[in-house]
Amino acid sequence: MAKINPPGFIVERGKIHEFANAILDDNPHYHDLEAAMSDGLLSVVAPLTYSSVASYFGERAGPGGAMSGLDMRYVLHGGQEWIFERPIFAGDILTAEPGASSFYEKEGRRGGTMKFIESEMLYRDQKGEIVLRGKSTLIQTGGVVTS
Amino acid sequence: MSSFENVKEGDGQEFTTPEFTRTHFVRYAGAGGDYNPIHHDQTFAESAGLPTVFGMGLFTAGVLSRIPAEWFGPENVRRYAVKFSSRAWPGDVVTCKGVVSKVYEQDGRKHVDLDLAATNQKGEVLISAEATCRPWK
Repeated sequence: MAKINPPGFIVERGKIHEFANAILDDNPHYHDLEAAMSDGLLSVVAPLTYSSVASYFGERAGPGGAMSGLDMRYVLHGGQEWIFERPIFAGDILTAEPGASSFYEKEGRRGGTMKFIESEMLYRDQKGEIVLRGKSTLIQTGGVVTS
Repeated sequence: MSSFENVKEGDGQEFTTPEFTRTHFVRYAGAGGDYNPIHHDQTFAESAGLPTVFGMGLFTAGVLSRIPAEWFGPENVRRYAVKFSSRAWPGDVVTCKGVVSKVYEQDGRKHVDLDLAATNQKGEVLISAEATCRPWK
């Protein structure tokens, strides 16, 4: 997950609706403000994997971007973890800071040397409290993996 | 809340997706922000030696997250962790399953651990995952 830049990612209702549709989920707590509030929620809830939207927030049209420096033909996403201190609601304003990261190499069975990049991201809300800890693993393979 | 009251180890939920299309991947690109061309650009995918584009891991992870979200409420999911094993291709039909692996009390609240998997029509696991759910307040 890339750092949010500029800081202050506003969690928007319309974007939650769009994202939930994209993951084929019609849960009323994502789409329906009245249903969410009548169930005791502050607003509609961000889907579990919604922080990936924040990680692209800092990108600008033009060359480069968050993924520059890696050959994207050969980058695989190995895994991802989300640990929530509380749900993320529409209206929250998130900032993110990188946590621990590590880098190591392994010999792959099919694609030569594989480089693993593990990184943590801490997401805080408008009060400065941690709401989400994210961890991701990217793998750059030595060659094309076709299956 | 009734999901938490009655749940026991071994309980399961599952659903099967519609056939994945390139449009699903493009819509996820727009919603999620992942414009890596390997997920939407046929020419680029072929230049990387692939037969066609494939779906973002996070697309399938999002689809699979419906299991804990629908079962216990998205606000009640404490942890969701995914491992990507195989790629999702256009034409795949994916079955998402979750099984309760553990029910326990912690910090005065009931917690439920789930083992999850998204599997394609050939029986290949695309994603294996775990989730922990508990009432958020």
